[in-house]
Amino acid sequence: MTAAALLIVVLAGVYAFRHQESQAEKVAAPAPSAAVDSSACIASKEFMKANHMRVLDEWRHSSVRDGNRVHVAPDGRKIDKSLNSCLNCHSNNRMFCFNCHMYANVKPNCWNCHISPMEAP
Amino acid sequence: MNEDRRSFIKKAGIGLLAGIGSAAGLFPALSLEKTVFPAWDEKPEPGKRRWGMLIDTRKCSGSCRECVAACHFTHNVPDFGNRKDEVKWIWKSGYEKVFPTASSQFQSPEVTERPYLALCNHCAEPPCTKACPTEATFRRWDGIVSMDYHRCIGCRFCMAACPYGSRSFNWRDPREGIRLASTEYPTRMQGVVEKCNFCSERLVKGQEPACVEVCPEAALVFGDLNDPASEIRKLLEANETMQRKPELGTKPSVFYII
Repeated sequence: MTAAALLIVVLAGVYAFRHQESQAEKVAAPAPSAAVDSSACIASKEFMKANHMRVLDEWRHSSVRDGNRVHVAPDGRKIDKSLNSCLNCHSNNRMFCFNCHMYANVKPNCWNCHISPMEAP
Repeated sequence: MNEDRRSFIKKAGIGLLAGIGSAAGLFPALSLEKTVFPAWDEKPEPGKRRWGMLIDTRKCSGSCRECVAACHFTHNVPDFGNRKDEVKWIWKSGYEKVFPTASSQFQSPEVTERPYLALCNHCAEPPCTKACPTEATFRRWDGIVSMDYHRCIGCRFCMAACPYGSRSFNWRDPREGIRLASTEYPTRMQGVVEKCNFCSERLVKGQEPACVEVCPEAALVFGDLNDPASEIRKLLEANETMQRKPELGTKPSVFYII
């Protein structure tokens, strides 16, 4: 009796996951990428203040052109090269980008296409 | 003394600056602070994979537009409600428009009157990338003909070069034409060309393209054309298939079962 019940449970499990496996086979393993880890900034505040635009430019080029989506931070953490890696944390403050850019009278055109922290839901 | 103290200090200062400048040229490490620390070993191997799609038009019913709606929502494709400003990534069109060079003489009316799904063919020999003066559009390592919207200057050479009409120009600010915006994908801006990207943003996460995922009839099959064991290759071997305008030599990656 217990063996039969156990068999039913196992079969049900196999049946439930069968569909997922066939789905996974259709598309080959995803391109090398890292989790969007926004727990801590990739570099010091001072460095990012001075160089964020160059980091983003490098990220854009290497991820879009070469498919290298993994950024390795100086402390060894692997981060997805995406604006979302930054905004997951920094969009908490809606004025994060704008305060500084307005003060410095810098008008980057990121937000013509990307969704800015100000517009984020 | 001919030279006063002030002009001596000025000249010494200029000399010092020139010295620092030449030192920066000699030792590049001095010139700029290092910004990134990339891990190049995770770069994919170019040409190893070639994404492709097979559309079984027998299963694709005429009135269904699920894939079009899903794609255009996922990628924030605007809809202005008129043909002049139309932006499209995937759409349905008649037999003569999709296969203008295929034989339509004495074809069964069921075949010639059915609408066919059209999208960017992600050609192995894409004419659009050769026409682009800024390399804003290019063929990726995995066969996807991709666009870097940051680089597009809106010259529309690629639109003239594409024999399939797969590219659209943003005559207006696309944000005006988006009723329901997806926060998962950016929009474009006025003055750039856009087209299907084979859902490269979803492939990174290991997901199938949005159109393939939502198709209620499972008429779309996506896979690696370079892998002989993939489902798409097996279906290509088992069925007679067509490409759009194969005589142009663009080698499309989108195949059709008629």
